[in-house]
Amino acid sequence: MALKIDALKCTGCMACEMACGYHRDDGFALLSSCIVAYRTKEKKDYFGVILKREEDLLIARPEGTEIKRIGETEETPAAGKQQDASAKPMLLREACDLCEEMDLGPMCIKFCPFDAISED
Amino acid sequence: MEYLSANKILVVDLTSAEVTDDELSDELVREKIGGAAVAKHLYEQHADGDPIVIGTGLLTGTLFPAAAAGVITAKSPVTGKISHCPITLKVGLEIQYAGFDYIVIKGKSPEPAFLWIHDGVADISSAADVWGKNVWETTDTWRKVMGDDLIQTIVIGKAGEDQSELAQVCYNYWASGDRWGFGKNFGAKNLKGLAFRGMGLLEMADAEEFVELALDVLEEVKEGEFVGKKGIGDICTAIGEADIDTWLAPIVHRHSACYNTPYATNTFVFLDEDAQKMSEPEHSEPGFLITDIFGLIGFKKMGISAVEACNLLKACAKYGIDAAAVAELSLATGKKTLAEIQGSFATLVGAVTRPGSGIFSPWCPNQPLFGKFDDAGDDPTAWWERRMAVASIFGIHPIFSVMSPEITEDDLLEIATVGTEVELSQDTLDNAVNYLLK
Repeated sequence: MALKIDALKCTGCMACEMACGYHRDDGFALLSSCIVAYRTKEKKDYFGVILKREEDLLIARPEGTEIKRIGETEETPAAGKQQDASAKPMLLREACDLCEEMDLGPMCIKFCPFDAISED
Repeated sequence: MEYLSANKILVVDLTSAEVTDDELSDELVREKIGGAAVAKHLYEQHADGDPIVIGTGLLTGTLFPAAAAGVITAKSPVTGKISHCPITLKVGLEIQYAGFDYIVIKGKSPEPAFLWIHDGVADISSAADVWGKNVWETTDTWRKVMGDDLIQTIVIGKAGEDQSELAQVCYNYWASGDRWGFGKNFGAKNLKGLAFRGMGLLEMADAEEFVELALDVLEEVKEGEFVGKKGIGDICTAIGEADIDTWLAPIVHRHSACYNTPYATNTFVFLDEDAQKMSEPEHSEPGFLITDIFGLIGFKKMGISAVEACNLLKACAKYGIDAAAVAELSLATGKKTLAEIQGSFATLVGAVTRPGSGIFSPWCPNQPLFGKFDDAGDDPTAWWERRMAVASIFGIHPIFSVMSPEITEDDLLEIATVGTEVELSQDTLDNAVNYLLK
């Protein structure tokens, strides 16, 4: 199973990021999430979601989904300034484990109010 | 307060440049619960310093649906009452994780200043370089200087600096629910604004139970009448302004939601590019995020185009002035063009309609949206004020609270008790609501 993200359904509400943070930290925090709403281009209204997987990053942009090897995008420190993720570079975050040890299943799917995330 | 809290109340005296912090006691939460009720208590405690109190609700920043809101509480220069303005977008979230539950700002800074609140640290910093700059330039400057584009701001523009009674505090770049002239309160303190960033952790007394309850409520909410609706246009239709939606549609780019809010209350319009284009815009400032329903409706009433109306909303947000008030006063004096209206900002005065009793912001429609509320029929005003009071105590997005009857007081009390280990009863909530409404 893998996650699929529909960026055009996404409203940038960050519920997925917080749900993932809860899975990682047993509390509410954003620093350890492997799914991150990118929202730094606020005046352009250009937002979407980045998911760190074992081998790559799934980047759900409004114009379509893209898969990049870690280190190849501006979302990672390899390109210098980290532009689109949160305070902690994606490189340093753990990869998505689909919340395998949790009964509720992938938390980001459960808590997305807009059903923008689903199983592939 | 160990859970759902940073356990800190920040007190800033701008006159003496003294910054202190107190603990948030369980006793205060047991009595007032949180949000606007605690903020009002702190206002009264520090009343001699003419304070502005900024706070979060008890559930703000959690996974409870629509737990997006913070609150600004101060004495309104236009009503003379202690009034409350919701903090929306991602600003309430950032306050919650920046390390303080409440911030009391009193006194007056001798020089222009702003507060930089980050990871449990509060600095009074010089705003000399941004005094005179507009809202957009100020947020851009702070983000650039601090090197973080995710910093969230509460900021005034020229209207606030000049202490206009129509001055509005803005969030990042966008209009807020400040219909109380709080921008003037900021200007009177020589306070340009606040910048927030935080990586905190909120712990819960029973995390597993809290999350399961939040999910149960979300699943009910997702069956609500609002499902399938989105953006400002559908809200306007719900309150009887049906022609707004089609008038605005050609320039609508996307709709976005405040933190964890199941309805996208904000609509971004493109003013300089094709709104249907989904790739990254070429212009750095292609449009405007509409966050103010009544500002939009007000400009529509002038008989101007949607592009002209949204350019006016943008000009108001940059200047930090209440767009709904500008629209009402401009309509009364026959001003229509961007140049005429923008040119009048500095001298604009006059009585403005603000429905309600002056406690909760009429920025939020005062009627049910989409959903049916069994208790809204007998006394709609009393229903709306109670709904606003409860939302402001727990940190629920006020607009979502009038569209989702699935969010009940019982749910809020139960999950807050599970999250905090502080026993919160219906009597406690009734007392806190009555305290806000008296």
